[in-house]
Amino acid sequence: MGYGMVIDQQLCVGCAACTIACKIENNTPVGFNWCDKITRTSGKFPAVRYEYISTMCNHCENAPCVAGCPTQAMYKDASTGLTLHDPKKCIGCKACIVNCPYGVISFNWERPHQSWTENNRLAEGCFSPREMVEESGGEGSPHGNPERGTTYPVVRARGTVEKCTFCDHRLAKGLAPACVDACPSGARQFGDIDDPSSEVSRLIAKHGGKGLREELGTRPRVIYIRDYKPQRRFEPARPAGENQGA
Amino acid sequence: MNSNVSLKDFLTPTWLLIAVGLVVGGAVGIHEMFIGHWFATNSSLVWTLPLVTYIFLALMSTGVSLVLAYGLIMHDETITRHTRALLIMAIGMLLGAFTALATELGSLLNMVWILLSPNPSSPIWWMGTLYSIELVLLIVKLIMDLRGRHGVFDLPLAWGTLIVAGAAAITIGAVFGTVIGRPDYHGAFLSVVTLVSALVSGAAAIVLLRPQSALTETAGRVFRQTALMFAALVLIRVVYEAHSSVVGMLGWASVWMLVPFVLALLLLQFAPRVLALVGILGVLWVQYSFIITGQLVSLGQTAHWYGAVQSYQPNIPEALILVLGIAVAAALIKLGEQYLMSNQRQDAT
Repeated sequence: MGYGMVIDQQLCVGCAACTIACKIENNTPVGFNWCDKITRTSGKFPAVRYEYISTMCNHCENAPCVAGCPTQAMYKDASTGLTLHDPKKCIGCKACIVNCPYGVISFNWERPHQSWTENNRLAEGCFSPREMVEESGGEGSPHGNPERGTTYPVVRARGTVEKCTFCDHRLAKGLAPACVDACPSGARQFGDIDDPSSEVSRLIAKHGGKGLREELGTRPRVIYIRDYKPQRRFEPARPAGENQGA
Repeated sequence: MNSNVSLKDFLTPTWLLIAVGLVVGGAVGIHEMFIGHWFATNSSLVWTLPLVTYIFLALMSTGVSLVLAYGLIMHDETITRHTRALLIMAIGMLLGAFTALATELGSLLNMVWILLSPNPSSPIWWMGTLYSIELVLLIVKLIMDLRGRHGVFDLPLAWGTLIVAGAAAITIGAVFGTVIGRPDYHGAFLSVVTLVSALVSGAAAIVLLRPQSALTETAGRVFRQTALMFAALVLIRVVYEAHSSVVGMLGWASVWMLVPFVLALLLLQFAPRVLALVGILGVLWVQYSFIITGQLVSLGQTAHWYGAVQSYQPNIPEALILVLGIAVAAALIKLGEQYLMSNQRQDAT
């Protein structure tokens, strides 16, 4: 079994709901996102092309971050095929970041959510950031999601890396990753990419598709299908005079 | 052990400089490990001057070890009569390198953990393991030398040091050379660069720090020969970069990196110590260049956060980690010279 994701570029509208959902679900600190984007603009006016490519950890089968990690902190989970990170083993060498060709691993140079530890109140009668965290019962920040903590610390330690886990805590409950559920256009499909009868495999079989930088041999498990092609959504403008006086 | 060392021996300009380096650099190191983050890094540009400091000092230590091992194996007395001094230099530089690395990793314990949870597919694991073995070998040799135990183990230890030190230098290159998907980090070329730069900087350090005529001549010869090789490697890189279309590379501008080595090659005999220092700075420049250049192009989503191509200049705290690493190495070398070398005659020969 190997979990994978298919992103349909024809359906993706670039709304960034996936990015926001991931940030809320996984309590990532200010400064970086597990789920983000690459944008590309090409061509000359008027034939200009703009691409929005949603990105996250590709959970590569042949993951360079796993090979490069000196302490096995970055590892492949045999039962799910996910590329996961054990922060207890992470020594902060950043080899995974340098080895990852996708730029999807981030480092906690400071203690995450540090600004939420401040005691200063903006005005009399307001909550201070620390009081807001206490009042909300959140961990690290008021929006700290306790469910995240079932498989990975809600607040990661200073001096360690972090990255997308395909929401392994949600997968354990039979739920799809937060970014998949949040996508308003259904552009993201998730499932067992090794099972030929799964929806993701069916989509890949139907449309082809490819991962990012496949030439490097990493065998990414996030596959992009179909390029965006503008389609006529509305009726064409009617010739002048038609319907007049109706 | 020299028991005649007094407080007066520490009231020298050299010790004053070392103390300033230890205090100022140490303060930055402690801040970085326990309080907050001052280095000019981000999630795309992660290895900066503190890591360069580690590479620079570790490779210089390797070079000294290699020259010493060569002398012991070839029975070159101009080298072997300075065995203790060279061992102290190699150990001091390696511990200075480890100090810089500890500030980069954020904790001394992280350097121990690398040995406890091994991943043999990782070049960094091999680098850490080989340098740990190297340090143990150097300390064993120093203890044996201090106790006057010379005999059947000398040659196997020398061979062991030669193999481990050489492998460690090559492995440092592999840490960068095995990276895929970055514009300036690939291939066996970097292992050749790190091995040769170890020899250049190690030989230059011996010329700089052990100015005895016979040793200077031998180490100077090694320095000149390896500097010529290193200049050739730099030239290959210059030509490669000049024809590369990758944004962020220096192109023909990196031809200036040849200057220190050309100067050293031509003028070493006239001012050996000055030109050895120039050569060491040249090696530092090249190592800095290849470590930083490989990270300047932002990958994937980080291009949105930091720009497609980043620029980097070390900030003052990072520069002070370089100072700290050198100060630790210098302090250990001075302590070793003052306490462990009183009963050894290592005159100019």
